[in-house]
Amino acid sequence: MEAAVWVIILPLLTAFFLGISKLYFKKILFPLVTGSAIIYLYLLISVSTNSYPPKVYSVGGWGLLGINLMVDPFAAMFLLIIAILFLPVILFSLKYIKIDKHDYFILTYLMIGGIAGMVLTADLFNLYVFLEVTSLSSCALVAIKKTDKAIEGAFKYLIMSTLGSFFILLATILTYHLAGTLNMAEIALEFKELPFKLKSILMALFVFGYALKIGLIPLHAWLPDAYEDSPIPYNVLSSGLVMKAAVYALIRVLYIIFGIDFLSESGMLAIGVFWGVITFIIAHLLAFQQTNLNRLLAYSSIAQIAYITIGLFVGTDGGLIGGSFHILNHAIMKGTLFLVIGIFYYSLSAINIKDIKGLGYQFPIISFTFVVASLSIVGLPPFNGFITKWLIIEAALEAGFGYAAFFILVGTFLSLTYYLKVIVTLYTKTEKKIVIKDPGLSLRLPTIFLGSLCIVFGIVPSLPLSLINKIPQFLLDHSEYIRILLGG
Amino acid sequence: MSKINERLKKLHTIALVVALAVFLLVVVYEIHNLDNNSKRYLSEHYISEGVRETGAINLVTSVLYDYRAFDTLGEATVILTAAAILSLLVPVSKATMLGTKFSIIVYQTTKFSIPFLAVLGVHLIFFGHLSPGGGFVGGVVLSIIPILLTITYGVEFSESKLKPAKKKLVEDIGAIGFILLGLLGVVTGSNFLANGQANFGPGNTGELISAGLIPYLNVMIGIKVGAGLAIIFNSLIKEK
Amino acid sequence: MVIPYVVVIILFSLGIYTVISKKNLIKMVIGFTIVESSLILLLILIGYKPSGTAPILDRQYEIVVDPIPQALALTTIIIGGSVTAVMLALVIKIYKRYGTLNVDELRKLRG
Repeated sequence: MEAAVWVIILPLLTAFFLGISKLYFKKILFPLVTGSAIIYLYLLISVSTNSYPPKVYSVGGWGLLGINLMVDPFAAMFLLIIAILFLPVILFSLKYIKIDKHDYFILTYLMIGGIAGMVLTADLFNLYVFLEVTSLSSCALVAIKKTDKAIEGAFKYLIMSTLGSFFILLATILTYHLAGTLNMAEIALEFKELPFKLKSILMALFVFGYALKIGLIPLHAWLPDAYEDSPIPYNVLSSGLVMKAAVYALIRVLYIIFGIDFLSESGMLAIGVFWGVITFIIAHLLAFQQTNLNRLLAYSSIAQIAYITIGLFVGTDGGLIGGSFHILNHAIMKGTLFLVIGIFYYSLSAINIKDIKGLGYQFPIISFTFVVASLSIVGLPPFNGFITKWLIIEAALEAGFGYAAFFILVGTFLSLTYYLKVIVTLYTKTEKKIVIKDPGLSLRLPTIFLGSLCIVFGIVPSLPLSLINKIPQFLLDHSEYIRILLGG
Repeated sequence: MSKINERLKKLHTIALVVALAVFLLVVVYEIHNLDNNSKRYLSEHYISEGVRETGAINLVTSVLYDYRAFDTLGEATVILTAAAILSLLVPVSKATMLGTKFSIIVYQTTKFSIPFLAVLGVHLIFFGHLSPGGGFVGGVVLSIIPILLTITYGVEFSESKLKPAKKKLVEDIGAIGFILLGLLGVVTGSNFLANGQANFGPGNTGELISAGLIPYLNVMIGIKVGAGLAIIFNSLIKEK
Repeated sequence: MVIPYVVVIILFSLGIYTVISKKNLIKMVIGFTIVESSLILLLILIGYKPSGTAPILDRQYEIVVDPIPQALALTTIIIGGSVTAVMLALVIKIYKRYGTLNVDELRKLRG
């Protein structure tokens, strides 16, 4: 299982070498970036296909005395998302990013390394460290254009995410004080004997901290500003990976450390579902008023992440499968949408809804991809979004959250209205002659690849489901995870 | 009207913070009631076996560079990220001088203290596994040298002596060296960042060349932190 | 043994208060450093043992304080310092653009 640790250090090493190449050999940027991305793709796929049964890698060889990495199906699913998004986005940005190219790639690789660390680690403090790596580099990527809006968005983002980190750190320190260890499995065992009240308080600290990072309403205010003027390939990674990584970490902490029994007993599951419902309704309503496409997609991201939250907080096998599958699907769908917007922005700097009028006839294939992805994100058959929404609704009904299922249907109509608005504008004929810069194949291909995945995963959902079906086994009942992590 | 609004807002904030404080007081009260001082088997193991297992007398160093070395890699990455962000946000255009002219005493004292700072920093780094100190502390002391130069002689002089590109290179080499030293563990058939477990020769505890890879890891982190902090400081001061 | 914890709580709450109530961006950043210091103090506290020595075992000591929180505190200091540096850089940028550090005025300037 040497590969597990390479998943984290390869992006970091690439970033460090890029730092040297920025100073002395500017020319090797392209081979370095693409070569490392291709090797990384191979690594990710080989690690995530080898995830059953879960494997433990002990950094430093200390076993329970040190830091352990764990590859279980949930982590493998996340690595698969990185594998799907990373290479297309890197190829896209190689042409898209014009200024500060080196810095952009250094920070992107650092961010990916941080995300991989968050996904694989089984140590609470290590999780915090990689969380900081991720949020710091992600914040820098927001500011990279150095425009007024970008700097302001980055500052807001940094303030909110640091506030969240402090609560997470406080909870981590208290956890160490109470359990005397930072290994998640040992903490889970120690926490079984802890009084109910103390556990609820610790859980509240964790949930509040991560909710700030995820952007659940009313803690979402930073998010649309952070998306508004940032480079669009970064938006793909941000909505697809950074926010999801926070969701992932929260779920990991809640399900492994506290356990499903405590979650349902303390009412956390009901709170999570309720919070999710509120969040997506408000986010859909806010998205409806946006004129900037980036902001519209940002609000849509908040709503979609609320669906994921609902799925993961339902607390049944079906919910976990639906929620995790939606993490994958949303990353693909939102990635496609953002890349299409990126092409429009690249060719005629169109970022508002009214600017894209009539582009449907100028970019027939790209616009069709946009239509596919937006219908999919709304949740219409036969695309992949429909399947996961169906799974989440089914799970919510089964677990007795009937109102959540009902409101998801309402939310579908709400999101249909604003996506239809965009699509109709896209296909409205205009007299105005538009001058366009050719986006070229290297921008089109990644977009079309991600768009076609929307259809592929909609028609053959069994492809990813064979991996995702194994997730609840090690997450819902944490005893298996604990046994493997303890080396049994 | 706006004044009342502002008052209300302030009251609201204060109420929120007081609620938070009370909430935390409840936490402390509950923890205090629990009385579980026995649950420290991990640190007890480190204290009783740490010297034998890692070869480092300074247990904090052995935790930082051996048991939890992966955290150290993470935080080294954080500094590198911060340095990268700062050099990105700051335009390369013109550096500004500080307006103040100091008397000759300040200049002479600065010159005089630099060798001592260098010796102190290097000592802290190399004896990190034997005495209080280590890569981070030593790196911070080393970074004081360029910072002092910047404060007394101005950014331009400081950067003509220590080029920003050189500092960046040193920082990157430190980070890469840390990972390469970690990979030595993989090469010798153990795990990444293994030191005590990979048998790099703990040596005689208490000597300078002991504790396996820990001194070398200390050096890498030391030069990395020193260069990183110097970059961060100079970038912040350069901004007009 | 409770009073130090109360100090931690006071510092933490004061820091959070500074962050959410102050209009000046620099003061906000100072608030963050206060919160960070309170967390470092908490780390030192939970590792403390009465009459314990520092965890440097050049001799046999009876009671040695917990080394793990000290290592964690070092990590926290480094991360906090980096985050503060980035925040200050962004504040400087904002000041250069708008010529003010006041949140209300910034909002007005943006419209």
